[in-house]
Amino acid sequence: MASRVPKPSTQTPHALVSEGGEPERDRPWIFRTYGGHSSAQASNRLFRDNLARGQTGLSIAFDLPTQCGYSSDHPLARPEVGKVGVPVNSLDDLHVLFEDIPLEKMNTSMTINGTSMWLLALYVALARERGEDPAKLRGTTQNDIIKEYLARGTYIFPPDASMRIIAEMYEYCLEHIPKWNASNVCSYHLQEAGATPAQEVAFALSTAIGVLDLIRERGQFSGDSFATCVGRVSFFVNAGIRFIEEMCKMRAFGELWDEIARERYGVDDPELRRFRYGVQVNSLGLTEAQPENNAWRILLEALGVTLSRDARCRALQLPAWNEALSLPRPWDQQWSLRLQQILAHETDLLEYPDLFAGSPVVASKTEAIKAEARAEIERIDDMGGVRAAVASGYMKSALVRSMAERAARIGRGEQTVVGVNAFAEGLPSPLVGGDDGGLFSVDEAAVREGLEGLEATRRRRDPERARAALDRLRRAAERDENMMEASIECALARVTTGEWADALRGVFGEYRAMTGIEGQSLGLRGRRADEVTRRVETLSRRLGRRPRVVVGKPGLDGHSNGAEMIAVAARDTGFDVIYSGIRLTPEEIVHTAVEEGADLIGISVLSGSHLELAEDVMARLEEAQAGDDIPVVFGGIIPEADIASLTRRGVRRVFTPKDYELVQVMDAIAEVLEEREARAT
Amino acid sequence: MQRGEQDLVEGAVALAKAPLGRLVSIFEDARPGAAAKRKRVHAALSAHPRRREASFIGVTGAPGSGKSSLVGELALRLAAADTDLAVAVLAVDPSSHRSGGALLGDRTRVRLPAGERRLFFRSQSSGLELGGLGRASFQVCRALRHLFDVVFVETVGIGQSEIEIRVLGDATLVVMPPLAGDHVQFMKAGLMEIPDVLAVHKSDQGEPAEVTYRTLKATLDLSHAGDGTPAPAVVKTSVETGAGLAELCAELRSRAERRRGSFADKEAYFFEGWIRGEFGRYGLRRLPAIGGTAAEFLAASGGFDDAQAAFARALLGDDAPGWSP
Repeated sequence: MASRVPKPSTQTPHALVSEGGEPERDRPWIFRTYGGHSSAQASNRLFRDNLARGQTGLSIAFDLPTQCGYSSDHPLARPEVGKVGVPVNSLDDLHVLFEDIPLEKMNTSMTINGTSMWLLALYVALARERGEDPAKLRGTTQNDIIKEYLARGTYIFPPDASMRIIAEMYEYCLEHIPKWNASNVCSYHLQEAGATPAQEVAFALSTAIGVLDLIRERGQFSGDSFATCVGRVSFFVNAGIRFIEEMCKMRAFGELWDEIARERYGVDDPELRRFRYGVQVNSLGLTEAQPENNAWRILLEALGVTLSRDARCRALQLPAWNEALSLPRPWDQQWSLRLQQILAHETDLLEYPDLFAGSPVVASKTEAIKAEARAEIERIDDMGGVRAAVASGYMKSALVRSMAERAARIGRGEQTVVGVNAFAEGLPSPLVGGDDGGLFSVDEAAVREGLEGLEATRRRRDPERARAALDRLRRAAERDENMMEASIECALARVTTGEWADALRGVFGEYRAMTGIEGQSLGLRGRRADEVTRRVETLSRRLGRRPRVVVGKPGLDGHSNGAEMIAVAARDTGFDVIYSGIRLTPEEIVHTAVEEGADLIGISVLSGSHLELAEDVMARLEEAQAGDDIPVVFGGIIPEADIASLTRRGVRRVFTPKDYELVQVMDAIAEVLEEREARAT
Repeated sequence: MQRGEQDLVEGAVALAKAPLGRLVSIFEDARPGAAAKRKRVHAALSAHPRRREASFIGVTGAPGSGKSSLVGELALRLAAADTDLAVAVLAVDPSSHRSGGALLGDRTRVRLPAGERRLFFRSQSSGLELGGLGRASFQVCRALRHLFDVVFVETVGIGQSEIEIRVLGDATLVVMPPLAGDHVQFMKAGLMEIPDVLAVHKSDQGEPAEVTYRTLKATLDLSHAGDGTPAPAVVKTSVETGAGLAELCAELRSRAERRRGSFADKEAYFFEGWIRGEFGRYGLRRLPAIGGTAAEFLAASGGFDDAQAAFARALLGDDAPGWSP
């Protein structure tokens, strides 16, 4: 393939020529759209439509139950099924998902981490059953667990077991599916969590080093085969609105990776030292206000990773203009895809060699990022590598600090966000005026179909074969044998996603990440904070003890920052806060509140499942005869239109991103408790 | 006793969560008026035909030693091994000295099955008390005593006055993370008086755990040689691998049986503690004149709740406002 890539002409520096000396254009990057929702059937339709519109690779979004290793009918899973991606319960679902899509011709990227091995096993099993050659499969399993611990939250097993899974997938893929990227080291989510360009580069490269060091230590590869393994490491990068800096960041990434591959791992072949990367451009900077402006932001961000030929991405997926409001509808995705097509096919971008080679500005900026990143990589190395830097909380707190600084800069107006802290006055957007308000909603009928499919799979399968396959998987896990073949057999035997993950939970245990809230303080001070604290003191005297507030996150979305900030703020204003963590069922939350004799429940939801969860929590409180005793408040990404429905269900207050003033939230919580006292007397 | 209180006691004895949760709240209530209610509920509990008699296991250890997750594991194991056994955990976390509020995060590390009646978990803030326990910890233990067979009381951490947990616990467990040699020397100075059992936790970490274990074992055997008291047991444990947990359960239960203290002694100690907290040294100086020793005064007053009211009356006069039980 490399030989077909045109070279810069020696006669005319601005032209590209083929091997035979003919003028030529570069081939475009792979166009992807991140998608999947409701059910395997619905997502298959979406994929085929997108391919028909000129998309050239698939990028699959899985729903949270699939990502966290639960089948759709698990109590934790039910409200989340089909919400942020497609549910996959068994090989039967994968058959439906890829119906009429030729696997051998497809380049498939799966955003999957905790259950990455399972999804790859399903994909291989699918190829086998369809009579296609698994060795020809191309694509990527995201499989970067470090950033899950740091930012994204869909981990299942403890770090050692998770890293072993990644290493085993590299070992399997290199032998059996040579074109598959076993993992895709992600800097994407680090930027979304607040990372600066240098942090993004350093943390991602440190993660890659962590994976490769482990593989080298395991000793399956040496010499050339280890060099090939280094060559299989690929990256998934973010591109923000400061697009010149982002372009320099990409050059810094490439040059540092080359350096690491050469110096740390002794890779001689420059082809194997290439920094191969795909991109999803930034979502953090997309705004809810004047959402149409996001279209321009996405365009500029795309330029950052395409303009410079030497640092151009291999695959690009763009978010949709309304991402800050909801999941994209098919039309929104098509609009983003058209941007890529215009950029690659209408403009002259692909006709030139690198435009920035020799630019002193670009070279200097790139060097500056490299120097800062190199120092950070060394610091992490000194701590004992990326696993130690995660375990000690070093990386997490560095990200939290950067994020807080960003928020403060925007708050002070030092960083301009058009439509938010500048030029906020504008005409109403006609784009959000349609019947659906510019929002996507899940197809409930399709979700039900999926659940029936799961039932049918369990009914039809050979139970003996399924049991034996799970036993084999457990044995492989216990004996430190590669678990890929056992997982493929599980897939063929119609084991479900929940069963596969449960078997390994039994062996490895389940990881509970550090909450990161111990020892944190938000420094809530000032007159208004003092007033709230006094209000809580008065309440304490009336109650005979400090008011006890249970804070928890039901469902599977792991974005715990909001809940943690509320917990810390409540402590800082004088409440006793029972923080019960993430991934809770409504039953567990109500159980905690009842057992702890709580005065109030605060629930944080970002996955869009707030209505179902509120319904469930309120019903269970009634059942426990605590409906009146324990008021409930909700916080999270909750559309204006749903607030009334929540209030009707008995929720006392609803906080949305507009309520970013924590003191005000605490004041409102104290008020809810005063109202309760007034009712009681 | 009122109808509602009767139902509450019946529900709690049957280990239903909602009445249990409410009943414990009564024992945390610092309003003067709560004492009478507490007395009625406590009387009903201690006379109930299906009451239990708990042994108390105090658990302490430095922050980060993994004591919360270890206690959760132990509770699960005890309940699984004996289907009649009811186990409660009372976990105390520190309060902020600035706001007075507290972040009680132990539930993120201990997850007991919501549907199991025989397991109960309660978080508590330490308030501004100095020891490892909270203002209401002993009060709550008075209730849990009749409701459960085993009560784990997890303290804030190693502080200045672990003696409280030594008195409350029939057995005391100190949880230690694997430490470097120097640290072991440092830690053991303040620790040797407290434990019946020492768990060298996170033993899956290998060598450091081994070193800690050997150092502790050698020191403890030496310091207890010849003085007649049994040396503390030292057990290597890991929640990850399950190592040592069965042994630890057995040690704790047998030592709690052997050393089991009378509850009256505990009451006397914590009654004095209450006087000190509420009335300071002045209160303690007046105690002999008002009623002799704490134990004598408790016996003469007819129980903890009445003794508090009687003492406050004796000290402050009949109206006795401004104190909390």
